[in-house]
Amino acid sequence: MSSKNTTLIQTLRIGSQILFLFLFYFLLIRTGKSNVEPSGYIDLFFYFDPLIFLLNIIATQAIQALFLLSIIPVFLTLIFGRFFCAWVCPFGAINHFFSWIFKKSKKKKETINKNLLNVKYIILILIVIMAIMGTHIGSWLDPFSILFRSSTIAINPAVNYSIEHSLKDGANDKSIVVKGLKPIYEFTKKNILKTEQRVYFQSILIGMIFFLIIFLNFFKRRFFCNYICPLGALYGLIAKFSFFNLKVNENKCKSCNLCSNNCTYNGSPFKDYMKSECLVCFNCLKDCPEESIEIKFNFPKKKNRTSIDLGRRRVVGSILSGIFISALPRISDIAKSKRHKFLRPPGSVSEKQFIQKCIRCGKCMQICPTNLIQPSFLEAGTEGIWTPVLDPNMGYCEYECNRCTQICPTNAIEKLSIEEKKEFKIGTAVIDRNKCYTYVDGYNCGVCEEHCPVPDKAIRFREVEVWNFEGKLKKVKQIYVVTDLCIGCGICQNVCPRSDHPAIYITAEEEQREFNY
Amino acid sequence: MKRRDFLKTSLLVSSSIYFPSLINSKNVLANSVVVKVHGDSPYKITKRAIKELGGMQKIISKQDIVMIKPNIGWNRTIEQAANTNPLVLKAIIEEVFNAGAKKIIIMDNTCHKPEETYKRSGIEEMAKKMGVELRYTDNNRLIAYDFKGEKLKRWPVFKDFLEVDKFINVPILKHHGSAELTIGMKNLIGIVGGRRGKLHRDLGMNIADLAYGFKTHLTIVDSFRILKRNGPVGGRISDVELKKTVIASTNIMEADVIAADLFGEKPEEIPFIKFAYEKKMGNMDISKINLKSFAA
Repeated sequence: MSSKNTTLIQTLRIGSQILFLFLFYFLLIRTGKSNVEPSGYIDLFFYFDPLIFLLNIIATQAIQALFLLSIIPVFLTLIFGRFFCAWVCPFGAINHFFSWIFKKSKKKKETINKNLLNVKYIILILIVIMAIMGTHIGSWLDPFSILFRSSTIAINPAVNYSIEHSLKDGANDKSIVVKGLKPIYEFTKKNILKTEQRVYFQSILIGMIFFLIIFLNFFKRRFFCNYICPLGALYGLIAKFSFFNLKVNENKCKSCNLCSNNCTYNGSPFKDYMKSECLVCFNCLKDCPEESIEIKFNFPKKKNRTSIDLGRRRVVGSILSGIFISALPRISDIAKSKRHKFLRPPGSVSEKQFIQKCIRCGKCMQICPTNLIQPSFLEAGTEGIWTPVLDPNMGYCEYECNRCTQICPTNAIEKLSIEEKKEFKIGTAVIDRNKCYTYVDGYNCGVCEEHCPVPDKAIRFREVEVWNFEGKLKKVKQIYVVTDLCIGCGICQNVCPRSDHPAIYITAEEEQREFNY
Repeated sequence: MKRRDFLKTSLLVSSSIYFPSLINSKNVLANSVVVKVHGDSPYKITKRAIKELGGMQKIISKQDIVMIKPNIGWNRTIEQAANTNPLVLKAIIEEVFNAGAKKIIIMDNTCHKPEETYKRSGIEEMAKKMGVELRYTDNNRLIAYDFKGEKLKRWPVFKDFLEVDKFINVPILKHHGSAELTIGMKNLIGIVGGRRGKLHRDLGMNIADLAYGFKTHLTIVDSFRILKRNGPVGGRISDVELKKTVIASTNIMEADVIAADLFGEKPEEIPFIKFAYEKKMGNMDISKINLKSFAA
């Protein structure tokens, strides 16, 4: 292959990476825009993920039609090898970029580490075995989930904050230099930023994990992709049977080993060509001074297959440990406890199904207009880390909104029409009679009654006499909750004027979905 | 200085600080007129009401920057009557522009999220057509404002409302659980920020203080559709009643008195009207109010 062609193919590859990264963020931001009609079709990225498809089949024992799209990359992998990682994956593109940055800052040559390369296959086995046992951990490591979650929870809000606190003041300033920033600010405000700064309890943790993954590229090129990514492992397994091959023309090759210089997994087609690890980035073609590397498509015969050498012992070991680990959350307190303190978005399926179906992507958090949906930490058990829970102190469930029910890629939050959502009982409002002004201080308040969106009012007034804080008997319009009418939207808790602890708050009492763990 | 002298002087000083608040009379107007127009089109009756009030040029000067403050608090449609009717606003905007105003801003500190309420209320669409700036509240633009009231003293207000030349209040007449009714004075809650829930203790007094301390140049009460029950959010069409009326006045309190009467409540039983009357902001007795009724 001529060097002109290799430069072209390199440009194409980088172009494709930028394109898909841009597309991913375009769709992510579009998901969160309030003027975009919410539907599952806004962002189809997740439907091209065969790992999530696999986990979803295991969880539901059914096939969700849109996920059949993920057959396309699988099919292409059978022809072109593990091209997905270096041509499509947006998270791969980010890791690729930072590997390139870090490479410039260090001289030491990297070496291949086959043991480390095998780790991702063990992780994949663990994930699948645990999914079969009913414990879902795959989405913590799925690259799409990681990128969408980190962007929604940490990166986008941080960018939002930085722009609001730097450009904005500039835009209001009268001086000419900063006035130039005004169009930039207005453009970002209109197209990228949220109207209101998003705040998440888990921002720090998720943000730090994201930066850790990026920083790992400092030690090894595309660290996450080569050693951790379960989706990469899945594609690696498929690529084993692919037609694509790199072949070194032994007549031309001078054994200089320059081809390993920029190899994403530090191998080389000359010495350690591993079909399952090759990301089809064609760096070696570019680096070879003799142009001795050739692309070959041939039928994957058994002897041609470069095997992934895990060793029987490791496979059996990881299966057994998968079975053991997946039992741990089943024997934690949440499995038997008769009460639970967290709330799930409207339309959520029963808890057991939810924890298996939810892919922790954070789409519902991105689309929620009021910041109500938050990534959980330990509220929903260790297994439920980063699943969506509701915090009515942060936001409230908008009565006329069903956005989160429309976009869940795996239907962990089932589709509800606006009318259905208005009837869906998320939980019930409970009055803390030690804190409510109309009970303990003896004066009228009623902010919650005012905001209650149920047309009949689930929070009502009754005229009673209360000993007020001056020790006098006073006539007060005291609030009470009509439990049957309350849908648990949480606006009462959100607007309660108490500063310490809301005097009315939502609990999972009488929630509509089943809680059979 | 002796202790007694010190006490005397400090008393004098402190009373002189507080004394101006007693003679503050921003919203006390003599000889105000209240216009009440009944008709089938919210747009036409608003136009008529402004005309009968003596025209908008009486209130707006050339090159004024005008703030129109409707009620856009809730994510509800026009038919649900939780927000000011956009057609009423349209008529006002036209009149204000005809009077020579430089710029009109529409803004409200909403209860639901503004992106949603501005859109669903139909006000966003109307404002875009009319070329009016629609502004969201921004907590960075809050400044403490001294209302010098009995109950309400310093409270954060959005700068936007203080930086304009004229302020037009366009509430919708609605039932309200804790304030009994929401009309002109109650609508002013939408100019303040902070923890507004805290104002609900002695709400009537706070609203009266708010209306007393903040100058409203014109109040136009949209009573075309009124929410009779389950306010201020509402949601059910059966709770909405067609009154097909608009009430306009330069006196915010007298407009509220007439509106309360239209709603079917006794004005003296509405706490904030009662307190406003005690502050001598206007007449509470309907027979004493200079009321002109028209049908358009």
